Amino acid sequence: MAEVLRRAPAGTAAGTARRRPRRPRLHVAVFVAPFFLAFALFYLAPIGYAVHQSFFRLTSSGLGLSEPVLEFAGLGNYATALTSPAFAASVGRVLVFSLIEVPVMVVAALALALLLDSARARFRAFFRVSFFLPYGVPGVIASLLWGFLYVPQTSPLIDVLAAAGLPHDFLSPQTILLSIANIATWQFAGYNMLVLIAGLQAIPQELYEAARVDGASEARIAWHVKVPLVRAPLILITVFTLIGTLQLFVEPLVLKPLTTAITSDYTPNLAAYNQAFGQADIHLASAEATLIAVMAFVISLGFLRLVNGKGNRAW
Amino acid sequence: MVSVEAGGGRAGRRDRAGGAGGATTGPAHRVQPATVVVLALLFAAAVYFLLPVVWVLVAATKSTADLFGTFGLWSPRPQLGANLGRLFGTGDGLFGRWVLNSFLYAGLGALAATLLSAAAGYAMAKYPFRGREALFNLVLAGVLVPSTVLALPTYLIFSQAGLTGSFWSVLLPSVVSPFGVYLARIHAHAAIPDALLESARLDGAGEYRIFFRIGLKIMSPALVTIFLFQFIGVWNNYFLPLVMLSDQRLYPVTLGLALWNSQTFRDPAFFELTVTGAAVSALLLVLTMASLQRFWRAGLTAGSVKG
Amino acid sequence: MGSKISRVARAAAMAAAIGLAAACGGGGQPSAAPASGDPAKPVTLTFWSWVPDIQKAVDQFNASHPGVQVNLETITPGPDGGYAKMLAAVKAGNAPDVAQVGYDSLPSFLVNGALQDVTEYAQDDAAKFVGWQWQTGVFGGKVYAIPQASGPMGFYYRKDLFDKWGIAAPKTWDDFAAAAATIRKKDKNAYISTFAANQAPWLISLAQQAGQQWFSTEGDSWKVTIDNPDTRKMAAFWQKLLDDKVLKTEADLSNAWYKDLQTGGIVGWIGGSWGDAIIRGNAPETSGKWAVAPIPQWPDAPAFTSASWGGGSSSAILKGTKNPAAATEFAVWLNSDPQSVNTLLSAGYGWPSAKDTSKVTNLQKDDTVFPFYGGQNIWDVFQQSDAAVALDWRWPPVSDALYATLTDNAKAAVQGQGTLTDAFAKTQQAMVDQLKAKGLSVVTGG
Repeated sequence: MAEVLRRAPAGTAAGTARRRPRRPRLHVAVFVAPFFLAFALFYLAPIGYAVHQSFFRLTSSGLGLSEPVLEFAGLGNYATALTSPAFAASVGRVLVFSLIEVPVMVVAALALALLLDSARARFRAFFRVSFFLPYGVPGVIASLLWGFLYVPQTSPLIDVLAAAGLPHDFLSPQTILLSIANIATWQFAGYNMLVLIAGLQAIPQELYEAARVDGASEARIAWHVKVPLVRAPLILITVFTLIGTLQLFVEPLVLKPLTTAITSDYTPNLAAYNQAFGQADIHLASAEATLIAVMAFVISLGFLRLVNGKGNRAW
Repeated sequence: MVSVEAGGGRAGRRDRAGGAGGATTGPAHRVQPATVVVLALLFAAAVYFLLPVVWVLVAATKSTADLFGTFGLWSPRPQLGANLGRLFGTGDGLFGRWVLNSFLYAGLGALAATLLSAAAGYAMAKYPFRGREALFNLVLAGVLVPSTVLALPTYLIFSQAGLTGSFWSVLLPSVVSPFGVYLARIHAHAAIPDALLESARLDGAGEYRIFFRIGLKIMSPALVTIFLFQFIGVWNNYFLPLVMLSDQRLYPVTLGLALWNSQTFRDPAFFELTVTGAAVSALLLVLTMASLQRFWRAGLTAGSVKG
Repeated sequence: MGSKISRVARAAAMAAAIGLAAACGGGGQPSAAPASGDPAKPVTLTFWSWVPDIQKAVDQFNASHPGVQVNLETITPGPDGGYAKMLAAVKAGNAPDVAQVGYDSLPSFLVNGALQDVTEYAQDDAAKFVGWQWQTGVFGGKVYAIPQASGPMGFYYRKDLFDKWGIAAPKTWDDFAAAAATIRKKDKNAYISTFAANQAPWLISLAQQAGQQWFSTEGDSWKVTIDNPDTRKMAAFWQKLLDDKVLKTEADLSNAWYKDLQTGGIVGWIGGSWGDAIIRGNAPETSGKWAVAPIPQWPDAPAFTSASWGGGSSSAILKGTKNPAAATEFAVWLNSDPQSVNTLLSAGYGWPSAKDTSKVTNLQKDDTVFPFYGGQNIWDVFQQSDAAVALDWRWPPVSDALYATLTDNAKAAVQGQGTLTDAFAKTQQAMVDQLKAKGLSVVTGG
């Protein structure tokens, strides 16, 4: 990933490297240090600690009435995770989920951003808040909420679908992944839309004006001017959605009590959570979390290689 | 941040004036079909996003029995007043405290996170320095590890410093936003012309002055976005306060609601409290977002004027 | 009949408890340090719990014990992260003195080295508690936790509808099966109950009631016997009802289930004693129409046998406490003092572990509860039930994994992947693997 991401802020390095700053660059340290200090303390340290923990295990003996012993496990926890059929199945499940959710999310976020950014749009403030609002609904409530909308006894949605001749069971093993994808889209499309809008706003207005003067329609401007210019944020939300889907956690956790189709290790992250919070095995949980991170790293790296390999190296 | 707010008032007015002119009541020119299509699509999307939220608001007016027994989008026997009374009365006004705590954690955390991200992102966009890309990649890699599992290690590290159980134990980790650094860097790179900085330097401005007077101002749309994301991220954070806090009076509203929700298992009356509490906290969040919109818009115009 | 058997059961419980206490060597003489402390320099204790309104009981303790002051901190329930927090706190050296821990989780706390041995302070208190409940806090003859409350099972049912359809409350499981079929014929929308595959504690209590236990110790090894004849009998019984489609399969304690309680879609529930609050709170319109019957019996049961939903909950003394004597004194008082027990009972926390409930006023007459059940004193049913819980039930040190695995397997069976009998067999294998993975010694049986 390092090599590919290095090109991210393309041009910056080339643009400014020629001019050498005049003074010793204390100010750079002052700008950068506070963030990195906090990042090291509150991100890197716990990650390092977790990785460290993943190489140990607690073992007891006999009935387990005496104090457990902490012993070095080498890659033992990793082997346990990787050889577990349930963990492997959960990895396969999130991969399928990514294939569904990533395109849906990116298209939805882009469509919303372009619609809102269109010169034809009205009531932008209202729509922007409406789309973003689900992101602010806490998980506890999402549970109750979708519980009501997905369960036949209480759902107005199912009544409407049935009346339209489209009976649907949101919670069956066949449909549950799509129902989860719906919740994820509902919660995060507005968030991703905002990232794209922030990108669209960094584009100088003159570019649009020029296109309009040339008589281009709004749709043409959107497709030929705006989309290429938000390529970087588009790739960003794709990568973030990809990572988010591989870490899929809240939605299945929330729906789990409602359906027989979701097990306690439905996704790798749910399995890690259950190890850490349920079975108090922080060691195996850390190994599983590390594996999730490695998987996300490899897949997002692969994706970046793919998009950056197509000639255009803007990102 | 001051400059952002100052700009906000100005452009906010401009925005409202412009909005009134351009909306449906607008001047003589007739509405074009393309506009109708765009608006229809936007409305359809709004229904999709808002319907479940409307459900929460309706549910907040119901008794526990009606919650499960009646149609989701209609309340036959509204008792909003009684629910609100219980919500704010339970446990000597615990709910009010939780909301206040959430605003403090989210507000202070997001403010600090925005400033730290802006400084780091700006520096990474505008000053080349050794190890810059390595640092940047490290930041991006930070989001690869699922945060659910990191809460417990963070707890163990914090207890070495004797910080667990305190207000700081939740606030301090909230000042880090790797995503904010990314966004600030991209935005600073795209929106702040090097020539502008160069001319400011020629005018004798120092680097700090340039950052606070020019950099922050131009980056303000990105900064408001970062603030908004981080505010909501901290507001919704559940696992960190869960492991860090033991004193109910320090709980943020999500943790408090989760506690109440877990008690529905023994006393179903807690459903009313949980749902009404959720509706109130969601409404407060909407108001916060709506008030931020003004600054957001402001930043946009401020940025384009400069550009 | 019930009271006689309950006396026998109590006597047995008592004997077992005393035997265990006596068996533990070394702690014979009373502790030299007086637990109650010096009122001038009170001992301060921290107590973690999530029980609603337990503050009232803590206040009562503080008022009557000037030498010990307890500071309550409310945390999220154990399964929702509370236990992980406690274990992390013990590891970090800043754990509370006393904490709320479920009976089912005490063994895993023990295996994680998180419990304090308080035998020397608590051994004389065994007689204050119901035998089987006391034993849940005793391991290898040592006391680590003081029991608080359990959830003895009973059969809640819509008496008005049962009467209308001419069905008597089922005394045996055969009666239950017959009633399930009859109800389907009488009302096409009604089911006798749901089969809650999501609810591991419920499935376990059904197995517990069926006879043979799942976990025991044999020398220095755990013996795992989940896949035993009695459990297979129980599994086959429910599988048949599922095959006959006379049960719902929705999750209990869920939106759908609450709605069905209100509308009569579900007319019965085999639930714990604390379930009364759930039915009253979620279906207030059905007041006066419910009744509670004893849990249906297996024909081969030697005597009336019941079970407790997920065991119950205790006040455990955590490793790292500086005042084990005061902590134990508080835990014993909290769970046996009649005033405190009354407070906990009205907070809905379940069936008291205290043996002498004659002074617990809420159990004698309860004007909010009894009218909902047509005036029936439902506590009599649960008193009898609690006294008939098997004494030798043991929780494994991996109960969370047991819950997760069992639920996953039972859900699969309900989906049609294998049978319930397979589900228990698969769970047996998974538990053996789990225990071995922790380095524990395991033998199996059936």
